[in-house]
Amino acid sequence: MQRILIVEDSPTMRALLVSALEALDRPVKITEVASGFEALRELPRVAYDLILTDINMPDINGLELVSFVKNNAAFRSIPLVIVSTEGSERDRDKGLRLGADAYLVKPFVPETLQQIAHDLLDRSGRRG
Amino acid sequence: MSSSQSESGAAAPRWQDLARRAAERRNAEVESVAVRQLLTFVLDGSPYAVPVERVREIVRVRPITPVPRLPGDVCGVISLRGEILEVIDLRLRLRLHAGPSGRASRIIVVHAADGGVAGLLVDGVTEVLPVPEDALRPAAAAETGNVETLCVRGDRFISLIDLERVLRFDAQH
Amino acid sequence: MAQRRRKGRRGSKTDQEFVSEAEEILDRMRQDLADLNEERVAGDDVDPEVVNRLFRSAHSLKGLAGLFGFDPIQDLAHRVEDILDGLRLGRVRLELSVVSLIDESVHLFASLLEQIGNPDALAAAIEPIGQLAERIQAARAAPAAESEFGDLALDPSLLRALTEYEEHRLRENIRRGRHICLIDATFEIISFEEGLSRLTAAIREVGEVLSTLPAPGEAPEAQIRFSLLVASDAPASEVVSRLGLPAGAVRLVRAGAAAGAAPAAKAPAAPGALAPPGPAAESDEEATVAHRDASEGGEPESLKSISDTVRVDIHKLDELMNLVGELVIQRGAIGELVSRLSADAATARIGSDFAKVHKALDRKLRELQSAVLDVRMVPLSQVFEKVSRVVRRLRTDLGKDVRLELRGADTELDKLIVEELVDPLMHVVRNALDHAIEPREERIAGGKDPEGRIRIEAFQRGNHVVIAVSDDGRGIDTANLRSLAESKGILQPGETLSEREALDLIFMPGISTRSEVTETSGRGVGMDVVHTNLTALGGVVDVESTPGRGTTIAMTLPITLAIIQSLIVVVARQRFAIPLNAVHETLLIAGAEIQRSEGRELLNLRGEALPLLRLAAEFNLPASPPDAKCYVVVIGLGETRMGLLVDRLDGQQDTVIKPIQGPIPAVRGIAGATELGDQDPVLVLDVSALLAETGRRRDAS
Repeated sequence: MQRILIVEDSPTMRALLVSALEALDRPVKITEVASGFEALRELPRVAYDLILTDINMPDINGLELVSFVKNNAAFRSIPLVIVSTEGSERDRDKGLRLGADAYLVKPFVPETLQQIAHDLLDRSGRRG
Repeated sequence: MSSSQSESGAAAPRWQDLARRAAERRNAEVESVAVRQLLTFVLDGSPYAVPVERVREIVRVRPITPVPRLPGDVCGVISLRGEILEVIDLRLRLRLHAGPSGRASRIIVVHAADGGVAGLLVDGVTEVLPVPEDALRPAAAAETGNVETLCVRGDRFISLIDLERVLRFDAQH
Repeated sequence: MAQRRRKGRRGSKTDQEFVSEAEEILDRMRQDLADLNEERVAGDDVDPEVVNRLFRSAHSLKGLAGLFGFDPIQDLAHRVEDILDGLRLGRVRLELSVVSLIDESVHLFASLLEQIGNPDALAAAIEPIGQLAERIQAARAAPAAESEFGDLALDPSLLRALTEYEEHRLRENIRRGRHICLIDATFEIISFEEGLSRLTAAIREVGEVLSTLPAPGEAPEAQIRFSLLVASDAPASEVVSRLGLPAGAVRLVRAGAAAGAAPAAKAPAAPGALAPPGPAAESDEEATVAHRDASEGGEPESLKSISDTVRVDIHKLDELMNLVGELVIQRGAIGELVSRLSADAATARIGSDFAKVHKALDRKLRELQSAVLDVRMVPLSQVFEKVSRVVRRLRTDLGKDVRLELRGADTELDKLIVEELVDPLMHVVRNALDHAIEPREERIAGGKDPEGRIRIEAFQRGNHVVIAVSDDGRGIDTANLRSLAESKGILQPGETLSEREALDLIFMPGISTRSEVTETSGRGVGMDVVHTNLTALGGVVDVESTPGRGTTIAMTLPITLAIIQSLIVVVARQRFAIPLNAVHETLLIAGAEIQRSEGRELLNLRGEALPLLRLAAEFNLPASPPDAKCYVVVIGLGETRMGLLVDRLDGQQDTVIKPIQGPIPAVRGIAGATELGDQDPVLVLDVSALLAETGRRRDAS
């Protein structure tokens, strides 16, 4: 059973992300948090296999979260997907340079998310 | 086999959510054709949609208490963070085949034009789709009238629901 | 009972509501735009908050217009929102042309609002709107040239994590010659939010927080380190001393031109007692700056980040209430267990110990219940303020001379009730202004003071609060009301009514005492809505009036949507709740005891004939066999009694009755719903409606 963490402050968007991921043909357990702060608290609790984070959030933005994750020995190997919006290419590039493994542009196509998640979860699974 | 550990946080104020999306909108798009954002979902295997501005939130199906003397297409009420909301079985409301709720079923909480809220029970939610205005076509006259327009996406038609119509229940009893 | 005009977050929707909300938004925009322009003219720093506020206002206006379907307004608002967004992100320079475009838009909005009821005027405005929108579009300047941050003594990792908006803020602050410094603070992972908020609040007193970057702390499993990029007019040394942080925690990244131009600093607090960052507990202490300085008697004012009152989201209060409710239920369950333990000889000893603990818990829980209920109480002053504003505007619009007197602003009510009260109260006041108070000349001719008087008085009466709106106007013409009611078929000609009943006619839907529809009163109907709204809150409305002298409308409301006790019954495996104050007794009877008379079922209760109502039949639920034993819940209000037949009793519970929101109008017999700990809402029966129904049937047969 692989675990996915979703960091997104819009409840509707969260619900869509969860919905798309649940339709994956593999057993996953999804945790949703609504802010970067909550993500910081959640990460040490349990071992995650995939993280999805929005970029534009109040308090800690997605880029800062990516930086934290990738600079942290405990979490750096967790695949990380950033969810950006059209028009924020610069933010998206920064996220990738900070070490994000993939990006998703809002509004997103569920199949794209599922493909990305599928590949990254495979990678995570192999690492063991 | 999947579940969500937490449906966390109170719903962000709608305006905040829309403000962020407005800040994200591209310049070029605004100049050419007006684009609507639709939340698409599935009913009885077919795609439907509602304007995303009308969506307050999407929640999992939870115990629905039946309420006597309500029309048949209203399943009952649910409790959502202390509020009690009526839930409409959208399949029945649109005169489609009734069906059981599956794991992917959801309740879409929408705003009515008069500010009221209600829940729509659907078989699953798909995505937020930006649709240019010129892709919308009026529905055929034979439709029940609950479908306002159809929008074309590739070779598929997505039925855009007339929320006002769906949410209007004249006092019959 | 469902509400047709339930508010999700907003009030009942009429064009008038749109206008008043839009006007509030425009008022704010005018103010902010004036501030913005002043800053521009004086060459001052543009306050990013002002631009943000304008942006949010334009956005709210757009959403509001969209909700009402005023597309041209929505479109223009969207353009204004766009250009404000460009301003916010530094893509658009603040120049006179931009300011005047926004100003023109605000003017155009205002004039459109005046024409709301006039669809032709709106249609005619589409062209000028379109032209203005295009000019705004054209005014978007090319993106400002970027500057590099290479000369900053900053860890590149921090720069890499700045979003576009944050980069822009950094650039701006550098351009303005501010000092840029980096503040490091370490917290415990479990509790960092509180400490961090306090630190950021303290920092905001001296500067702007540009970015917050988290990094693993020294002990990564338990700690988390935050690097805050801060811009300030005060040099780093001053920031250090004002925040009471160790010198090493604040590092200058780029010196600015300003030399200590921060707001007058008091004598810095002695940092002597501060320990360097070490064991986790202490670093947490350092971060709670305000706390430490307050205890040293340092500079309380500038560092006071915790004020005496807290603004609470009503939904959080609701959550609190729900939690308390759930605790109450668990307490009940524990009580059950205690009884069982005590009853069994083997466990009696532990049962009695347990009982003592349970009693103490019970006491504390009741205190908690009161405390939470207390938090929800707010004074009526906010409502009164809103009413004053509206009255001030309306009396100019209507050209009437009116004085508004307010009494009892301190009177407190449950916050939820207060929020629900605004609409009905506003409506009653508008009615008074519009219909009741006569124009000046008429008043003089009638020997009255030319200035009319409207008085709103609130006071507590036992478990209720009364809010009375009185005017010294025309009074209600009951003869007029009667003939109106007759013409609408509500009243049969020749049917007699007492004065009291005649006055109550104003609550009938469809009654308007003026033949013209006036905008200010929302089309002249609405007292029925006031009545419905108040009834939903558990209140009542009374009217008293003397023709020629004035009218008083008194709204009586319960002080709180309090937790009330209910009896839980089971019918056809579904639970229902009956408010205990309407229950007289419960009986277990055999089916044979039910007698029939004239098609109705009765029970002989100590010599009296008690009419019975089978809930299963009433609600179209599967019925239990007619001969089986069943329970009778004797309910009654005042003189009327009735017995409800149910399958089972399921104990008593504390419940909070919530209204049912949704598109279906009121369901007869259901007062609302409550949650009993789990997520399953349980319907609450409307006793008076059920009693009335039996009454009706009795009369009919």
